[in-house]
Amino acid sequence: MKKIWMLLFASLALFSCQEEVFLDLGKKENRIPVVEAYWTDQGIFNEVKISLSKNYYDTLEKEVVKDAEVFIKELATGKKIAFRYVDATRSYRANPLERARIGETYQLNVSWRGQVIQGEGLMLAPPTVDSVSISFEKERLFREEGYYLKVYGKIPFEDNNNYRIRVIENDTLKNQREDYLLFDDTFGLTVFEEGLELGYAFQQKDRVRLELYRLNKDAYDYLSQLVNLLFNDGGLFSPPPQNPETNLKVVTGDTEVLGYFVVSPVLTRTVVIPFN
Amino acid sequence: MSFFKTFAFCALLLLAVPTFSQTGKPLVGQVLDAGNFAPLVGASVYWEGQVQAGTTTDVDGNFRLPVAKLPAKLILSYLGYTSSIRQVEARDLDKAQKFYLQEADFSLEEVLIQERRGDEQVKNMELGKSTMSMETLQSLPALFGEVDLLRSLQLLPGVKSAGEGTTGLFVRGGSADQNLVQVDGAPVYNAAHFFGIFSVFNPDGIKKVDLYKGNMPANFGGRASSLIDVTLRDGDSDRLHGEGGIGTISSRLTLHGPLLGKNSTFLLSGRRTYADLFLKLAKDPNLRNNALNFYDLNGKVSFALGERDKLSLSSYQGSDFLGLDGQFGLGWTNWVTAVNWNRVNSDSAFFDLQAYHSRYRYEVGLEDRDSGFDWTNSLSESGVKAAWTRILPSKSTLTWGIHTQLYHFAPNDLRPSANNPINRLQTTAVQGALANAFVALSQEITPKLSAELGLRQGVYAQLGKGIQYLYPGDKPDPEVEPSDSISFGRLEKMQSYQGLEPRIALRYLIQDDFSLKLAYNRNFQYVQIASNSSAGLPIDRWILAGKYIRPIQSDQVSVGVFKNFDQNRWEFSVEGYYKDLKQVIDLRNGARVLFSNRVETELLSGRGWAYGVEFLLRKNKGKTTGWLGYTWSRAWRQIDGISRNQPYNPRFDRPHDLSLVLNHEFSAAWSAGLTFVYSTGQAVSFPVGSYTLDNQSVPLYSNYRNEDRFPDYHRLDASVTWKNPDAGRRWKGSWNFGVYNLYGRKNPFSYDFRVVYNNDVNYSPEDGKIVSARPGVVMTYLFTFLPSITYNYRF
Repeated sequence: MKKIWMLLFASLALFSCQEEVFLDLGKKENRIPVVEAYWTDQGIFNEVKISLSKNYYDTLEKEVVKDAEVFIKELATGKKIAFRYVDATRSYRANPLERARIGETYQLNVSWRGQVIQGEGLMLAPPTVDSVSISFEKERLFREEGYYLKVYGKIPFEDNNNYRIRVIENDTLKNQREDYLLFDDTFGLTVFEEGLELGYAFQQKDRVRLELYRLNKDAYDYLSQLVNLLFNDGGLFSPPPQNPETNLKVVTGDTEVLGYFVVSPVLTRTVVIPFN
Repeated sequence: MSFFKTFAFCALLLLAVPTFSQTGKPLVGQVLDAGNFAPLVGASVYWEGQVQAGTTTDVDGNFRLPVAKLPAKLILSYLGYTSSIRQVEARDLDKAQKFYLQEADFSLEEVLIQERRGDEQVKNMELGKSTMSMETLQSLPALFGEVDLLRSLQLLPGVKSAGEGTTGLFVRGGSADQNLVQVDGAPVYNAAHFFGIFSVFNPDGIKKVDLYKGNMPANFGGRASSLIDVTLRDGDSDRLHGEGGIGTISSRLTLHGPLLGKNSTFLLSGRRTYADLFLKLAKDPNLRNNALNFYDLNGKVSFALGERDKLSLSSYQGSDFLGLDGQFGLGWTNWVTAVNWNRVNSDSAFFDLQAYHSRYRYEVGLEDRDSGFDWTNSLSESGVKAAWTRILPSKSTLTWGIHTQLYHFAPNDLRPSANNPINRLQTTAVQGALANAFVALSQEITPKLSAELGLRQGVYAQLGKGIQYLYPGDKPDPEVEPSDSISFGRLEKMQSYQGLEPRIALRYLIQDDFSLKLAYNRNFQYVQIASNSSAGLPIDRWILAGKYIRPIQSDQVSVGVFKNFDQNRWEFSVEGYYKDLKQVIDLRNGARVLFSNRVETELLSGRGWAYGVEFLLRKNKGKTTGWLGYTWSRAWRQIDGISRNQPYNPRFDRPHDLSLVLNHEFSAAWSAGLTFVYSTGQAVSFPVGSYTLDNQSVPLYSNYRNEDRFPDYHRLDASVTWKNPDAGRRWKGSWNFGVYNLYGRKNPFSYDFRVVYNNDVNYSPEDGKIVSARPGVVMTYLFTFLPSITYNYRF
């Protein structure tokens, strides 16, 4: 629907102009830690990124926090999985053999300069992905010409149906605001059995990796609100912009925290769009 | 005390006010247009030398004027008509007299800008009421040359706009859905065309519009902030007339005349845009292949059933359509019908019966092999209102009546096409009924002091068929499943509320041209829009009061001083108000309300308040007319869950607001209009930083809402009108040349905080190689120096 509304308001473009302006914007007194943490059943996806917010016009690269103490705790057993900062990925990594186990609840702990940030998540069972199909489609309304992928599978769950599919096209994560593919059971889940079409047109020889996550509701809401914020143009038809509601909390210290904690199974498929 | 006891007590209290009886038989008559015999509303009638003791004609042109001594000279005057002086004898009192005024055509030396008596603002009981005549409306410079009723009301003190070019009204700190817009008594639920750029009213079909900014009479209610009461014209009873215009983006035609002899008239008025033609000029094929249009159709037939009864049927239908490539369509339609029966029981007793039905519907559809759908929704309100008016011999008028309303909000229904694998989504329908009883007494207590006291009692019920969910602790929460649910059968009461709405107005005449007024007004509102954007969308979801969504309560106290100068050539007024709002709603972050059957879980509720001072200096007579209005006001909301539970300003809080409206008649042929508006920028939230998440830059916002401001808004519009001064010809044409935003002020419509690639705001990563990327602010602005030309005619 967002694409539809974009087109509707594009009608206003007949009478509108755009130009870049400079506004004297406010600043936060303190830079806020931003935590982006993934804890999955595949070691390669498990990482915690910590950075700091900056002033809006600041063009310097984000400041990465390298000296935090990070671990994930399995609440039922009390087992702690330590994360260490890795320069190559600019993130905190755990032993790749350590993984989330279905049915367990995990607690993220980040300690940095006297502040402790925590988040929790339940490891859910993954759905089933059977196959991925490729078909060529001519240009239609709201769809470019190209090769489209459909994911076939089964979602047997009655609850906690909150999913994200990340699409990596030729090693580039598709993360423009219109690229986010989030779905829940609002429109039912038979769509997944009959083939969930990804809304991207690929070209021949494209290498496409799909990652399917089953998210906890709070992480799903965070991402949904993030997408809404990215689409918020500050105009009359947009709601007042708000930061997404994080599922992290500061248990020690008086800072704020941004970001989210994902505990999720990951299903991956890689397809190459054939030449001819 | 039960409602009826309260009602009776108050009525007795009102009647107990000391009165001063009038002796002698009054002169009863009707003032009509000599050309077409149409009744003239608001014509001044007074005895020679006794202007202040005069009266004005009512909606049917009727008047009653006390008689002191006969014979005497009666003077009748009316906007645009030659005044008439008649000798009245004692025998003229035996039956109702008819008086005919000759249209002065274009030869007026002076033009009044309102259909009202010169000293009306000082002497009437009304506080916070503005009346705009069609003459005024049509003389204002207009966007695209389209005379627009709602946008014109934004020029009045106390009325704010949502933003550039839009017709949404925010009256004295109230939100847009707190305005009751009604046509001949029937409500219009979406009074906007083209996403709010135009309002639904074709000016040719309108007789007048009254705006009540708070102090509504007791026979009106249902919205917390204002009433915009639009009255459609009656047709000419003499001969067929036509009028219309050919404009830059639309054309309009109105025909009216006798229907079945002189006792019945008709009026048919239509307007249709051709914005599609502009789209054809667009370079972008996505725009070029679009359809974009709207139309309005007004019809009214009136029957004079003898000398005492008048029956009229009014109907309005308006529709918008936006289509893309013939495959996607969005359309919405208002259809409003009202039947009014006005009966004059005697010289001092009147009865008005009204029945109406208002329906709003929208449809969104996409024709696509795999992802097609059809999404529809509609809502309706039906009502019956009966009012009795009795003019008492003690210089008082008593009005009482009942008003019943039935709401039906149909399901939001999204039906996927055959190959679309998503499920059908359908919300449950909701119904509500509201019964109101009202009584009002207008009483002259002393020659200087008058009072208008009213009571309105509403009894509301949300009705089945429906399901009511129960939540732990009675607190709806999207994260918490309902603990239970109750199913209600058809028309079974699910929840009820009642509210007593007192209305009090006092006027003290300090001098003949100087008065002080006080008013207190309470309103309950049982329907509202679940949205937190500032401009309305056609798919906005209206919701009814229920177990968890309580009706909005509005209490307003206002005070004003009114002074006329130079024999009513100038009017000056200062009005101050304080308004308190309870149970106003907002949405949770990320709320999804369109297809939710538990919409209460997505809402937050709190309070609001607003206060301000409105100044208005108006010149009513002479070659130069117009007004200067200035408002200082503030609006606040405090809702737990928003802005860290602290008070915040809604977007339409714009403390300084100034409007200058000028019209000048250079000659019988040439006239010009000029409008200047200035206001503080909208209250908004700008980022206070940014952060990186998911490999992209995200703006960071403060936890407190709307602490920033758009730049101040100002704009100058101008128009020149040339009309054929030859009054003898039947075809009368005029040309209007206008410019909107004469000096090209770039008033922001929005600011988008996003990454600017390659130093080009229109460049996107999909366009090619990226050589630079940095955070930027992209301003969108509309309508700079927009000329228009319109040809208006009548015959």
